[in-house]
Amino acid sequence: MKIQLTSQGDIQVLELSGELDYHSSPDLREKLTELTMKQTPKILVNLGGVDYMDSSGIATFVEAFQKAKRYQGRLILAALTATVRGVFEIAKLDSIFEITPTVAEAVKCLGAKT
Amino acid sequence: MEKRFELIASSEVLAPFRREFRQILNRAGWEKKTAEKILLAVDEALTNIIRHAYQGRPGKMTVSISASDDKIEIVLEDQGKKFDPTQVPSPELPRHRPGGLGIHFIRTIMDQMIYDDQNPAWNRLRLIKHKTKI
Repeated sequence: MKIQLTSQGDIQVLELSGELDYHSSPDLREKLTELTMKQTPKILVNLGGVDYMDSSGIATFVEAFQKAKRYQGRLILAALTATVRGVFEIAKLDSIFEITPTVAEAVKCLGAKT
Repeated sequence: MEKRFELIASSEVLAPFRREFRQILNRAGWEKKTAEKILLAVDEALTNIIRHAYQGRPGKMTVSISASDDKIEIVLEDQGKKFDPTQVPSPELPRHRPGGLGIHFIRTIMDQMIYDDQNPAWNRLRLIKHKTKI
């Protein structure tokens, strides 16, 4: 799994690609923990390149989402592939997370400030 | 079609196993959406063996796959700590805390999840999915 961190105005964007499972989720957890420790107010996770995700991936996002909520931060998941979307649906978490079909919509939702 | 995998209980083996298992599911005629779900269920069962049965210690796990025209049966075996996933209660969803979803995924995706408690030394879990029931 590849993880790339960039910024778009005041939004921290994590772009993921590959497979997110029990082996790779600790790397993602580390990146997300870095961001939530700094109380990053706007986090966007681009999942467009993730073609597989298991419950470890879901758990990683739930943890980061709860941490961000504690300091009134926002975490948006964008561009989910059908497979990944299906995993959120089985977990009934698709209505809990903020999920947008595209990265552009996520940026709009978060209201990027330069 | 029958295939048996002997795997080391380590997270590194999961991705290569999935690649091979995906090909088996494709060859057995499963449509992509269901194939990906079966893949997820078996991956969760293997992750449970690594995490709970062996608890990070080295060990062996085997996956025996038997695919016919109308169903697929997957038998997972390990010699780790005894663990019967069928006894784990279903979680209340959506879960607001991380974790606890793996067995829910297996139960939701597969038609049958059967734990064989006859062998004192082995955990043996059978997962069955029928093609007609989606």
